[in-house]
Parts: sequence; C-alpha cells; structure tokens
Amino acid sequence: MVAMVRDEERLCETPSVNSFLVQTRVVKYFTHADVMHHNHLSLLTESLFFFYILLVPFSFLRPFLLCCFISFYVHHSVLCLQMSSKDKLISHVMKEEPVGCRNKVTVVGVGMVGMASAISILLKDLCDELALVDVMEDKLKGEAMDLQHGALFLKTHKIVADKDYSVTANSKVVVVTAGARQQEGESRLNLVQRNVNIFKFIIPNIVKYSPNCILLVVSNPVDILTYVAWKLSGFPRHRVIGSGTNLDSARFRHLMGEKFSLHPSSCHGWIIGEHGDSSVAVWSGVNVAGVCLQNLNPKMGADDDCENWKDVHKQVVDGAYEVIKLKGYTSWAIGMSVADLVESILKNLHKVHPVSTLVQGMHGVKDEVFLSIPCVLGNSGLTDVIHMTLKPEEEKQLVKSAETLWGVQKELTL
Amino acid sequence: MLITWWYLYLAARTFVEQTLRMTSVLQKLITPLASGPPEPPRNKVTVVGVGQVGMACAVSILLRELADELALVDVVEDKLKGEMMDLLHGSLFLKTPKIVADKDYSVTANSRIVVVTAGVRQQEGESRLNLVQRNVNIFKHIVPQIVRYSPDCIIIVVSNPVDVLTYVTWKLSGLPKHRVIGSGTNLDSARFRFLMADKLGIHSSSFNGWILGEHGDTSVPVWSGTNVAGVNLQTLNPNIGTDFDEENWKQTHKMVVDSAYEVIKLKGYTNWAIGLSVADLTESLMRNMNRIHPISTMVKGMYGISDEVYLSLPCVLNNGGVASVINMTLTDDEVAQLQASASTLWDIQRNLRDI
Repeated sequence: MVAMVRDEERLCETPSVNSFLVQTRVVKYFTHADVMHHNHLSLLTESLFFFYILLVPFSFLRPFLLCCFISFYVHHSVLCLQMSSKDKLISHVMKEEPVGCRNKVTVVGVGMVGMASAISILLKDLCDELALVDVMEDKLKGEAMDLQHGALFLKTHKIVADKDYSVTANSKVVVVTAGARQQEGESRLNLVQRNVNIFKFIIPNIVKYSPNCILLVVSNPVDILTYVAWKLSGFPRHRVIGSGTNLDSARFRHLMGEKFSLHPSSCHGWIIGEHGDSSVAVWSGVNVAGVCLQNLNPKMGADDDCENWKDVHKQVVDGAYEVIKLKGYTSWAIGMSVADLVESILKNLHKVHPVSTLVQGMHGVKDEVFLSIPCVLGNSGLTDVIHMTLKPEEEKQLVKSAETLWGVQKELTL
Repeated sequence: MLITWWYLYLAARTFVEQTLRMTSVLQKLITPLASGPPEPPRNKVTVVGVGQVGMACAVSILLRELADELALVDVVEDKLKGEMMDLLHGSLFLKTPKIVADKDYSVTANSRIVVVTAGVRQQEGESRLNLVQRNVNIFKHIVPQIVRYSPDCIIIVVSNPVDVLTYVTWKLSGLPKHRVIGSGTNLDSARFRFLMADKLGIHSSSFNGWILGEHGDTSVPVWSGTNVAGVNLQTLNPNIGTDFDEENWKQTHKMVVDSAYEVIKLKGYTNWAIGLSVADLTESLMRNMNRIHPISTMVKGMYGISDEVYLSLPCVLNNGGVASVINMTLTDDEVAQLQASASTLWDIQRNLRDI
C-alpha cells in the first residue's frame, strides 16, 4: 500500500494532479472502499476527475480547495503509513455496542470432571462462550490455552479463564465441579465439610457476577452440596440443580442394554434418591418399548429373583468405586451426563431427567433435603417434577436417605 | 402318604414353572428375526495408547459420532479397563454402540482407522527429537500387531516426533505410503489460524493459512498463502513474516512453535487440541470428504528432496487415505527450509536401529 502511494507521487508532479488523486482517495477512504488498486484504468478515471476540479467556477476557490486536498493527502498518506494490515483488511461498520454472549456456560474447577464436562459441552456446540475458573492458575491457563488451540474445530468462539470470577459474568449455566475428590474406598459423605468450605467461597462469587444463572452442582456428595449451594446462593429452588442420579440412571440403562443387546437409549429405567450407596431403583418403571419388565418377571429386584436384577443395581452403585480403583477417578461419563443436562437447559428441551432437587413434602419426606427425582428441565431451570408411583418400601428408602442426609446437613456450619 | 405325594407333586410343579419362567424376560420380550453371526463393524476406529492424548482423541471421535465401534489398546491393564468402563457408562449419551478394550490386539480387528498415540511424552524442556529411539522400540511392538489384525487400515501417527515416527511406522507396517499419515502440522496450522484470527477478531475457520514441513521447531509458515476472504495478507503487507515487518507477524509463528512447550509447562501435557485435530482428520478419512489437511506424508521427489522422509504438506484425504498432494507455490527460502528439515530428519532416521 505504501509502495503504491509512492509510485503515484512520482507519476504526478503538479500539486493539482496530486490533489485530484487525493480527492479520489479521500472519496474511497470515506466510503470504505477496499484496497486501492493502482492500475491504468483507475488512473484514467482519476484523470477525468482532475478536469472536474479545473471546471470549478469561482477561481478564487481553487487555491482553497487545493489546500484542503493537500492536507487530506498528507493526512491520508500518514494514515496509510500507520494503517495496520487489520485496518486495511477490515472495516468496522456497527455503531452500537456488540451484543455479547447469549448462551454462556461457566465451569468451576478444571480437574478431570470439569475438563470432561467442558470438552463435552464444547463438542456438542451448546454455548457461544465458555468460562473456566479455578484456584490453580497455571493449570487453568494451560487448559484454557489447550482448548483455544482447538478453536478451529469448535463452534464456541470465546473461551476465557481466570482465577477471578469476573470472567464468569452473565452466564446462563454455571457447572460447579470444584471440590475434593473421592479417594479409593472413601464414601461420598466423608467429603462433606471439606467441600462446604470450598463452596462458601465459590457460590457467593458466582452469584455476584451471574445473579440469574442456573447452578448445576456436580461435586460430591452431590445432594448435600446442592442443598449447601441453594442456601448459600439464595436462589429460588428451580435454579439450583444437582447432577444427582442422572449418571446412575445412565449406568443402569447401559447395563440393561448389555443384557438385552439393545442401545441404552431404548432401555428405560430410573434410579432415584440419593446419588450414592442408597439410591433407589424403581423396578416398576423399567421397560423396553413400553413393555413393563416387572410384568414379565414379577420378582424383579427382589432377593429371590432368578435373573438377579438386584445385582444390576449393585453394579451401578459400585461402578464409580470400580472405575476409581482402576484409573484413579471417573470423568468421561459424568462429563457427558453434565453436557446432557446443560443441553436440556440451554435448548429449553423440557426433557425429563433424574436430577437432585428439593423433595420436602414429596413421598413422605419431611426434611429440607435434596434428592433425585425425575424433573423437567428447560431454560428457566427445573420447572416441574414427575410424581412417580412408588411402592411403600421404595418410599421408605427415600425417607431413610432423607433422614441420613438431614443428619449430616444439620451439623454443617453454613 | 397321599399327602406327601401331593406335596412332592406341588414342589415339582413349582420348580418346573420357575425354570420355565427362567426362560427369561429376554425371551418373552424379544423375538429374534434375523439370527446369525453379528455383522463386522464398518467404521471401526482403534486408539492405541490411553494416556491423555489417546483419551482426548477417543472422546473427540465418540462425541463427533464418527465410529460405530471403538477399540482401545494399551499395556497398562487397569487404566485401560477403567477408561473403557468410564466411556461405557456414558454410552447412553453416545452413538457408538460398541466400545472394547484389551491388552491383546485382537480387539482391534477390522479397524478402518488406527490412531497411534502410544509412546513416551515430551518432558518439560525436552525437544521432540530426543524422544526418538525410545518411541521406535515401542513401535516395533505395536505396528506389526496392528497390521496383522487390520491389514486394510489407515494409520494416523500422533506420537512425537511425528515425522520420524510416521516414517518408522511406514517401514514397520509395509503398508503403501498413502495409508500411513502423521498428524503433522494439522495442529500447528490450527494454532496458527487461531492466533492470527484472534488478532483480527474473526473465527479461525475464516482465516486461511498453512504451516508445513516439520511438526516442531522448524515448521514453515507459508505467508504467501495467508488470506481472509480471498484478500491476500502479503499483498496488504509485503513485509509480512520477515524481520522488517513493523507489525511483527513473525511473532505469531513463533508463538505457534512455543505454544506446545508453554501448555506443557502450565498443565503438564497437551491433549484437547491434538484430540480435536485427530478427530478432524478421522472425519475426512471416514466420511470420504476429499478435504485438504496439512499432514505428514512421504515427500521424496518433491521440492528437491531425495531422502525418504515424511514432512507435512497439504494433502487431500478421503477414505483411501492420501489421495493427492497439493503443489504449493513456495518461495526459495521456504523450499530451502523444507530441504533443511528433510536432511535433519534423514540424519536421525539413518541412525535408527532395527527398522
């Protein structure tokens, strides 16, 4: 560009010719024309414009016009020298402020579960901005850079990360995976107080920057921590969701699928209640294509069941411990489960998922506890719950879980 | 006496009924229509190595719904089984119905694409070339087994140093050269496009730019090809990529080269970007797309290179592998850089034992 300007300078010796050329350049500059091409045709059209100036009627105006044009010329040449490739390539045409993100998701905690959730959300094209937060700055920056380097293959334009929660502003969904993880053989309830203290820092910060978000709690023990998040955030109950038994039900459906050689999505079974050792498998609801399996096998789930379906449920409960024993942690399944929930929320699907919500007043539960029951998820959050027809012993199990959870919750200092 | 017989009869009847009921829920529920041996998979992908890179490739391929069967292989059995179980627990959310894993390569039979990520990883500050002999020894065990069970597969080599190891794989496998590719500078180009597009405020896919040659410190950015919407950046800024450039675009290429080291320093390894890059290549291969990617291929006879080396050039990928190579117009300087890389790689390859 600079070289072209100098060429034209040499070609034109008279100031008036210069000014005419400048006039056309000025016109092009102000009309945001693209890269100015120096070719013979444009020189011809520019020569025609030159004579236009000579025809200006009042001759006393000509010097004045010439001065104007010369100053434009100098200004423009300087600009050409200063204009970066970006400015030459791209002209900004929007006068208003850019709209910003509409479907922002934040993931708090960039451990194995957090990153598995992040990559699942990114690969499902769910958000237009992703924010990552953690306390370990190096790891956080490294993970963000690694994801950004894959930006060519993704449809999420903006991936930001910082220790400071201001990057999470205006999120629609905040996935909280932060917290200590289960050690081998450790039950989920043992982690409680450690994680409550971490939440006392995280939740108020989230709420400060995204007061209208939906909180999705993944850290274990998920039912108690969802209660803690609800209390600390002050959100209405439909905006605080625990990932709950969404994963347990997925594991159950996978095992059912293996038994029948069917895809898990065609095998239906619901596991509700506490995400953990005392989850409740609702045998009356287990079906394939609407055929209730308990009608085919009335002893399903009982101890004298010759097909030993109870063992399937046991495998679901033990599944997490087994994976932890083999590879040290679980990540992919919970990550995909979280992405499934986020999809229902962001796309307003009104899909039913077994997630952790406040069950006080349902199924005989009197305490303020969070347990998993089938709920309808949409972009307002958890809008409705499904009333399952439970057997008395199943309800008793729920009440018992509720009492255990309440026993732990009332000892907590919030 | 009669009563005893009666009770015995009742017991026998209950027993028979129970046994019949044990002709299970499965048989009452499902009537098979077409029985016979199960069909072999048509779109099977194998990932060798379940470290961070291998699992990132596996998850990206699963979430992009590219395969109808995924096989994982590794030497560490516990980790392998744990990863397989973790993926299986998420099978409700996936469209890949079969995920298998074993130490034995027989699970990889009939794969269409085999992604090799096995090998030792770069330590902090270690250059890629130092890993070579360690990884060659591992490949001597892996590659023949892969080819034994999937003689028609396409092998994508990811382990570093990728250009040397792609050559090693080609030699050890005996496959034709169009079916052995290295992930090469697909990732470098993706990083380059991201960094340049970020500077301009646009999406990476709208910025076109190619980095060729060796995946590593001596990769070659082709500045004459960089463009946005057909507007060539070198025409806007003739000094682009040189040391006289006031805007210092050369710095972007340096950032691309350093970015792997930087991420390793911050989090210990890189995985997500390379996983996404491999899934992108797998998509072109699996879906017969005839898309162009900068990947590592045999360049003997091109650009004056007479050694049998693998360097990254823009290649057209389809379900047969590398269909063709694009002849880029490179400046003399860029060709010289490619030749220098080729001779460095040949020096290393010459000294490798047992291939």
